[in-house]
Amino acid sequence: MDLRNILSEIGKTDPEVYEKLSGRRQVLKNFGSKVAVAALPLAVASMFSKAYGKTTSAIIDALNFALELEYLEFNFYHEANNVTSLGLIPAADQPGFLAIEAHEKAHVNFLITTITALGGTPFKPNHYSDATSAPPYIPAAYDFRASSNTVYTPLFANVFNDYPTFLIAAQTFEDSHIRAVNGQMSNWAGNAVFAQMQQLLATEGRHAAFIRLIRRNLGAVTAPEVPAPWITNNIPPSFPVGSTVTSGNIVLQPFYNGEDNTVQSGIDISTLTDSGSPTGYVPQLSASAAFDEPLTQTAYSLLIAPFILP
Amino acid sequence: MKILQSSEINRMEELEKIPDPSRRRFFQLAGGMAGAGLLFSACHPVTKPTDIYLGSGDIALLNFLYVLEQMEADFYTKAVTGLYLGISSNEHLALVDVRDQEIGHREYIKSLLGTTNASAPVITNFSNVNFADRTSVLTNASVLEDLVIAGFNGAAGLFTNTSYPLSFLKLVSVEGRHSAYFRDALSHNNFADTTVVDINGLNQSMTPSVVLASAQQFLTSRFDSSNLP
Repeated sequence: MDLRNILSEIGKTDPEVYEKLSGRRQVLKNFGSKVAVAALPLAVASMFSKAYGKTTSAIIDALNFALELEYLEFNFYHEANNVTSLGLIPAADQPGFLAIEAHEKAHVNFLITTITALGGTPFKPNHYSDATSAPPYIPAAYDFRASSNTVYTPLFANVFNDYPTFLIAAQTFEDSHIRAVNGQMSNWAGNAVFAQMQQLLATEGRHAAFIRLIRRNLGAVTAPEVPAPWITNNIPPSFPVGSTVTSGNIVLQPFYNGEDNTVQSGIDISTLTDSGSPTGYVPQLSASAAFDEPLTQTAYSLLIAPFILP
Repeated sequence: MKILQSSEINRMEELEKIPDPSRRRFFQLAGGMAGAGLLFSACHPVTKPTDIYLGSGDIALLNFLYVLEQMEADFYTKAVTGLYLGISSNEHLALVDVRDQEIGHREYIKSLLGTTNASAPVITNFSNVNFADRTSVLTNASVLEDLVIAGFNGAAGLFTNTSYPLSFLKLVSVEGRHSAYFRDALSHNNFADTTVVDINGLNQSMTPSVVLASAQQFLTSRFDSSNLP
């Protein structure tokens, strides 16, 4: 292990790494000369946990943000599966969407339990105690048509009456949910919650692939960008040919910005050798698809704001 | 039987950590020492000189993940080389794309390890896969993907240096996408059944040693995982 390389790599994504390690600078200088090689891993680990170790409140805040997203998703699928006009979701696809709804409900309960166990107060959506609420179902808290969207008002006019529109919304929510939780993972580093949230992310990845596959199989008229089960570059879902929302990409693009990144821990995946590829290197599209990219809480909160009612 | 001094035991433990060529010499040496040879074989009945040593601690965990990604990349390379009968253009595109993504993952983890720490390349064994048959390819692809996801999840909490799991968490949700794709292509709506997602909605997690034992069905190589956390 070369510590200087690790620090240099972290420095590329976190320029403040040396500041965070300040005070331990002397320790750093001593590496390679005075510290026994056998003691290195432990010393390095302790240095990083001091620099990046999160307080319990930061862990809980991040879990509460994840909980907020799970409430939104559960309510979206619950509405689609149970409340709206029959026939939105074709019978052939219904088992999948019922499974997704059950998973999102399980995620809500899992996060409430975890946050409570850590001594935190679980997030509650607006209107939690309204007479129309039956938590986790809180219909007064959400407007999935996004009526307050300023480019198209509403953005998803027929989200619960038109299957292609519903699928576009579902794909956008799933893909960006992964990105938003991804962006919180560093808050859980070194805590048991980290592995569990990674498990949760893998489940969400399954959901996203299912929805993308349905759209792909509907064909290029309904899903003009013909999605793969994974995110290719930063391409958002396109509305069907002839749709009134002709430039929905403009509204949905921010959900996908940054997804075309191919650099991981300072290593550009598209420069790595791939004997199967015609160029001899990992193709750029595959390099971008091979990793889901994070979104910050600030960025994602702005993106989902049109779907949340005061 | 000769009782080993503690210094000799320490020496044996040190030798245990050294990769192949030196270890092989040690085995020859140990074999020549009647008592010590007996004691050694009693302690390490499954380790053979030809086993690939994974290292210890974080390096062992990274090498374990490297084994998994090599296994996947090799599987898809074979699947693309001899496409199954009746493959559609969409399925062909997906198979090539997944191969390139897995090669990207493999080379990435190899880069994280560096040449000094990366264990020897594995030799895979897919003799039980019929690459000409769609069902066989998709079934085995989903088995592989599910195993790899469980392995990444099981390893995530075991690292001493928490920057390592942060460096590969972004590929785990993509492996989830791969698995869901192959599962759904086999049987629609079966992308996340109760065999891979638990009652909390969390994707399966298994310890590295359990995953490695299960992965052995696809591998000719054998491993010395004695220092795998």
